[in-house]
Amino acid sequence: MAVTVRLPGSLREAVGGETKIVASGGTLGEVLADIERRHRGFLALVVDERGEIRTYVNVYIGDEDARARGGLAAPIADGSEVMVIPAMAGGRR
Amino acid sequence: MLPRELRDEIVAHAREHGRIECCGLLAGRDGVAQRLIRCANVAETPSVRYRIDPREQLAAFRSMDAADEELVGIYHSHPVSQPYPSPTDRAEAHYPEALYVLVSLRTAEPEVHAYRIRDDAVREVLLEIN
Repeated sequence: MAVTVRLPGSLREAVGGETKIVASGGTLGEVLADIERRHRGFLALVVDERGEIRTYVNVYIGDEDARARGGLAAPIADGSEVMVIPAMAGGRR
Repeated sequence: MLPRELRDEIVAHAREHGRIECCGLLAGRDGVAQRLIRCANVAETPSVRYRIDPREQLAAFRSMDAADEELVGIYHSHPVSQPYPSPTDRAEAHYPEALYVLVSLRTAEPEVHAYRIRDDAVREVLLEIN
């Protein structure tokens, strides 16, 4: 199943500068693994060592927050758009 | 490049928030900011931290896509400290393609500076304001 994945910021650089790529998989984990096969090192930017989405990354499947749908186990329908968005944060302290 | 009206809008946003850090995005084309998108700061301690509301971030990216715009910059205020990226700003900078615009209200005349942040390294960028 093909889905479009949008990757701004540092994630874009991890996939060779593309802002959108097409990947396949029936769950979020499978989609991210498909990208990792083509772009080594990508997955570690999105998923931590416990297999959870990193705290500074937000993933949306359509309009839904992937964390609310099971994280990496979240099902993804054919033709969906996935947005993987690093947080915009900081501050003086 | 930052049009003067957008620079003034950033300063106005910072002043409205006072001692709370304000934040938002600059959208445009070819490195020229054309539109400012104010965002909510959802950090737990907004007087010293900012975190753009992720839902607003999602909506902003969608609106930029629809308008064929790119992310030109990310701005936030330092209400009482210098207009320079703090260690937290550097550690949490995930957009090497964007200008990080900081406005400081520590002096009567607001100071606005811009930086590129990549791999914890900061480089100031001369802001062309016209």
